[in-house]
Amino acid sequence: MEVRGLKTTVVGSYPKIPDPPAPGRWRTSVEKLQRGEISPADMHRVEEEVTEEVLREQADAGVEVPTDGQIRWEDGLTYFARGLTGFTINGLQRYFDTNVYYRQPVASAEVAWRAPISAADYTFAAAHSPRPVKPVVTGPFTLAVLSRDEFYGNPDQFVMALAGALNRELRALVQAGAPLIQVDEPGLLVHRDRFPLFRRAMDALWDGITARRALYTYFGHVEGVYPAILDLPVDILGLDFVAGHRNWEILRRAPFTKELGLGILDARNTRVETPEEVAAACRKGAELVPAASLHVGPSAGLEFLPRRVARKKLEALVAGVRRAKEGAA
Amino acid sequence: MSTPPTSLPPLPTTTVGSFPKPPYLLEARRKVARKQMEPAELQQLERRATEEWIRRQEEIGIDILVDGEMYRGDMVAFFADQMDGFKIAGLVRSYGNRYYPKPAVVGPVGRRGPLTVDWFKFAQGLASRPVKGMLTGPYTIAEWSFNEHYPTRRELVLELARAIHDEAVDLEKAGARYIQIDEPAIHTRPDEDFELAVEAMEIVTRGLAAYTITHVCYGDVPKIYPAMLRLAVDQIDLALKNDDYVLLETFRTPQFTKDIGAGVIDAHSHRAETPEEVAEGIRRTLKVVPARQVQVSPDCGLKTRTVDEAVAKLVSMVEGTRLARKELRS
Repeated sequence: MEVRGLKTTVVGSYPKIPDPPAPGRWRTSVEKLQRGEISPADMHRVEEEVTEEVLREQADAGVEVPTDGQIRWEDGLTYFARGLTGFTINGLQRYFDTNVYYRQPVASAEVAWRAPISAADYTFAAAHSPRPVKPVVTGPFTLAVLSRDEFYGNPDQFVMALAGALNRELRALVQAGAPLIQVDEPGLLVHRDRFPLFRRAMDALWDGITARRALYTYFGHVEGVYPAILDLPVDILGLDFVAGHRNWEILRRAPFTKELGLGILDARNTRVETPEEVAAACRKGAELVPAASLHVGPSAGLEFLPRRVARKKLEALVAGVRRAKEGAA
Repeated sequence: MSTPPTSLPPLPTTTVGSFPKPPYLLEARRKVARKQMEPAELQQLERRATEEWIRRQEEIGIDILVDGEMYRGDMVAFFADQMDGFKIAGLVRSYGNRYYPKPAVVGPVGRRGPLTVDWFKFAQGLASRPVKGMLTGPYTIAEWSFNEHYPTRRELVLELARAIHDEAVDLEKAGARYIQIDEPAIHTRPDEDFELAVEAMEIVTRGLAAYTITHVCYGDVPKIYPAMLRLAVDQIDLALKNDDYVLLETFRTPQFTKDIGAGVIDAHSHRAETPEEVAEGIRRTLKVVPARQVQVSPDCGLKTRTVDEAVAKLVSMVEGTRLARKELRS
């Protein structure tokens, strides 16, 4: 099996603090900010330093397409909801089936885009990474299903309003020079029955976007929406093959016509995969799409793990991909 | 399983388990972490704080007491640290800048010896009212740990259930008449896993004569209703106040057949509810569940409050319950 062209990537988040006893500078800075001992500008500088550290760590591990680690995101919802008009931010909610919580956005007025939310962060990361950085945006469908709507009273209108607003955000990222943009939609996998709405949202979201388009789902499999998702207007579909182990079997039912984000490292378990396991999964992935269309990485964002384990997983990823390529040579 | 001892008043008051640690104890814990204090000295302070909380609960007039968990950090790590098969993998963020030490299962799990019995005996020895034995349930321990060892979650959960059962038996032998098994993660995967959670709870409480309780919070409770009525416990304790009692609508049909621990105090707000607010919450509960099936408690452990906030909330809870009791008699 030809496996030489495949690339290594990540899905998004990265642990913000190192393992003890190293000082968790981000964490202590948040505490200082809350006590008024440092200014928001000081906090911003700390976040920039941690972002640089995380970009370096991914580069050192050998990841070809990194992200900025989402160091500035308190969670995937509020980072965007706070930047749009129309949202207030409510109490804590559990994020899918994880033990991670997010503050729930509440749409209390018409939602609209007013200015770029993530473009400056992308520009900073791109300027401080030796490799091309992939910006990540939480998709309109997931943002809608994890938020509370007190304005539209109609889920379709709420999702489509968000799709329109986030289309402006994607355009801002293209303007900032992003060659590839990833949109995360794990929410689709818990509302598969709403795929027709999801498809309309994707059409509106990606309208006029000239960058390469990646759509990632995680925390489950695509039973019920495959092969329909192949019709979505994107270039890369990222899938979770750990929590969604059944994707291996589901994808065999129809030829996979997109590039494939192969999420094979368990982002939610500390057991570090061996390079052999990674190589075997790469070969299996190359049975689904040509190797040059494979983007191999973790099953989800790595912030579910302690920093040291995240780093080891990336090293195993790169070693495993190298092994797969050598085995094929 | 059993009915609560008849010496209790109607609508007995209790709490979910944890209380705030006094400032001197927080300071001592920091010192021990920095190796500036001996663990033995910390334990002295933990005993002092436990004694203070037993006194306070009796003064406030709570009917079924807890030891307040002055000696516990995280509710899962406390058990994992003392059991075979676990190591602490590192710090993981749960929200904001809150991090917790998440355990990893790296070998066969099991109890080396009793985990909570000494503290139970100490607290009960100080109290003139019953003290609850407090355990974290197997599903939650498994769900909030990484699993590097067992091929399936099922094997891990059932092995943990056997260990927690042994602990419950030891608590009962030590005199515990009430045993609470906290399962805040039980509704994490309702479709996939609820039968497993039911099976695990059967193992934990099998053959116990004590009155058994499970505490469930924060998550999609309607999704596990009415299935949760099959959990092998006498009482399910739930957060009602923080969502303004909307859960009660779920419990109208089918009927709530267990006893309910009705959470009438928001555990995560600074403001103390008024006694009238508590009484109103109890009245609303009584429209759905008969009084003989109701105990009164806060929504969740109070450890994130200050000592003063927690005391003010508990005083209101007891006064509000007295108001509701009067109406019961009239």
